[in-house]
Formats: sequence, C-alpha cells, structure tokens
Amino acid sequence: MTPTSIYIKHPDYVQRDVAGECILVPIRRTLAEANSIYVLNETGAALWNRIDGRRMAQEIVTDFCGEYEVEPDQLAKDFTSLLDDLLSIRAVEEVTG
Amino acid sequence: MLAQDKLTHLPERFPYSCQWEVTCRCNLHCVMCYTDCFNRPDAIRQELGTAEFLRIMDELAEAGTLELCLTGGEPLARPDFFQLYEHAVRCGFLVTVFSNGTLITEAHADRFAALRPHRIEISLHGTTRQTFERITQGQGSYDRCLQAIGFLLDRQIPLVLKSTAMTLNQREILDVKRYAASLETVGYKLGEEIRPELDGGAGPFQYALSEPDLADLNQRDPDLWRDACQRDSLEAPPCRSGMRAFHIDAYGRLQLCSGNRRQSYDLRTGSFQTGFFEALQAFACDWKTSQEPALIHPRMHHV
Repeated sequence: MTPTSIYIKHPDYVQRDVAGECILVPIRRTLAEANSIYVLNETGAALWNRIDGRRMAQEIVTDFCGEYEVEPDQLAKDFTSLLDDLLSIRAVEEVTG
Repeated sequence: MLAQDKLTHLPERFPYSCQWEVTCRCNLHCVMCYTDCFNRPDAIRQELGTAEFLRIMDELAEAGTLELCLTGGEPLARPDFFQLYEHAVRCGFLVTVFSNGTLITEAHADRFAALRPHRIEISLHGTTRQTFERITQGQGSYDRCLQAIGFLLDRQIPLVLKSTAMTLNQREILDVKRYAASLETVGYKLGEEIRPELDGGAGPFQYALSEPDLADLNQRDPDLWRDACQRDSLEAPPCRSGMRAFHIDAYGRLQLCSGNRRQSYDLRTGSFQTGFFEALQAFACDWKTSQEPALIHPRMHHV
C-alpha cells in the first residue's frame, strides 16, 4: 500500500449484503471466474466501504483507527493485503493523475 | 478476502435462492411442457408487468437473495426480458437463465456477454432435427437452438445443456450428452421427471419412460448409472423447499417450489419479507418431516 495512493471501486463489481456477509459479485466475469463471488470479513468490509476514490489510503487507515480500537501498523498490513487482493481481481483501481 | 462459489454460513431459514417463472409464454409447444397450458393470451395478460417485476426483484435483493434463476415458459419470449435480466445482473444476483435457445440471436448473445449470467441452461432434446422438432413442435427450432449454442460458446458464456428423458428421445439422450462433452466447457444434465400440466392435465405422462427403459438408459452410461445408483441408495432427505429456496410464478405468487403450488402468497399485494418469513414457512409439503417431534407418544394397551 502506498500511503498517498487513492483507490476507486470498479463498477464491474456489485456489493451485496447477504445474511450479514459483505460480498462482491463480478458482473462482467470471465468463464474462468464464472462461479466466483468474493466474501469480505468484517474488517475487509469496513475498509471496502471507505474506499471512495477521494481519500488517500493513509487517510482511510487513520479514519478507521479513530473509530475502532486497532493497532495502526496491523491495520495498514491488513489494508495492504486487502488492496492487493482487490487489485488482483480488478475490483479497485488506483486513481492516477 | 475469500473467493467462493457459494455462501456457507447462512441462517437455517434465509431467502438465498429463487426460481422465478417469469412467463408461461413460449414460441414452442413442447409435448412434455407443464406451463404450455397457460401459454395463451388471456393468461399471459395476467402475468406480472415490468414495473411489478422490477419492484419485487428489488425486494429480493434487499432481503439478501443471491441466486436467481429466470425460467419459463421461455423467458426470452417476454418483450422486456433483457430489461429484467440486466436489472437482475446489475443488482448483483447470480443469474441463471433456463431457455429453449431458439430466440437467442447474435445480438442477444452480445448482451449476455456484456453483462454475464452465472449460467445459461438450454434444453437440447435430441441430436436429430426430426426428434427435436417432434418434441418442440416448432419447425426450424433445431437449427435455431444449435445456432444459439454456437453464439453463446463464441462468447464464452457458461452453458449447460439438458434433456428430459422421454419415449421420443431415449435413443438420442446419450448422443446429446456426448455432444455436450465434445464442447469441453459445457455441462450436461439429464432430467427424468415428467410433471402434470399446471392446469392438472396429464398429457405429458404419455411420453414418460417406463422404469425398465429408464434403468436401461442409465445403465448405458457410467455417469448416469453412478448418479442413478446414488439416488437409489440414499433415503430421500426431508424436503427443504422454503428454507433457503423458493419459487415465484409468472403472476407474482410466492410458493415453496415449482413442483408445489398448492399455497401461494401474493407478492403483488404483500411484501416479500412478510411472504417469506411469515407465510411461506406455514405452507404444506408432503415431503417435509414434522419439525417438532411429538412430546407424548401414545402407547397402546391391550386390556
């Protein structure tokens, strides 16, 4: 995670709340991923909900730490891991320019 | 973040999976079809309109339904089919479409490719024009069905072919299965169930295979035989319709399943939440076991 990077959600994913679970459903999936949905855990869902295409990654971490009692370094690691996953399935993009 | 193909931690009762019979209209008149009796103008006029359909669909999304199967009749026979379908995909449902394939044009295939379904299942009744069209009673339907399969494969749309085993096509079932296998990415399902028509008519049963013929068919293919043996060796579990799966008919009536429409809740006038969580669980099903074992077991005394 680059602290100053800004990420935006990709419109090819729809967020669903199903029985209390946060799910990302790809709507332009390929044959290989035809059956995949992506389930976020509680922290992942809370971070996903803060990705807005405006705030820098570090701001999201700071905001999150202000609301929940979490260790900032651990949260930064978790967010990095989540962003890697989201980037790999093209559910988010880094905002450039 | 976990990639999954199903959710595993669901409550015991949750409206996870919906089969929605979006219309009884169809361009074909398959001999074993149970909905074709309502494929007539006066009945079609009673079906849900676009706005009602979309409103109910939004209620399902709000309630957390994830799997949505659009069936018919022939779903694409609805003039507003793609409006409904594209809304469903954009809502984040995993959408499966059951179709006869014969109305799917190249332009339609492009629309499916742009907003992809979870799966399309096409009924392929035989591998010869004569058998196929004897069943569908639609001239030219065989070529149009195969053409649609090609359009969808060209666009890598997840596809399943399926057949209902009947007296008319029993000698071509294994050829259909082999054809599906030759397409590599395409699945195959064999249906054995013939149902009475929705108006109670027994016409489809004249095409039902006898038990020995069905056994003979299954014995000729290792996969079918294995499935048949598994079915026969297991005691049928209690029916779970209405627990995580439910059915909606073309008129907006919520029911336990497609095969049990004895009781309905009208989604035109009531909310889905009330229908699923209050009405549906009280609907009768002959295949459910009693939820609550009796606390007192009467004992017979011979005096």
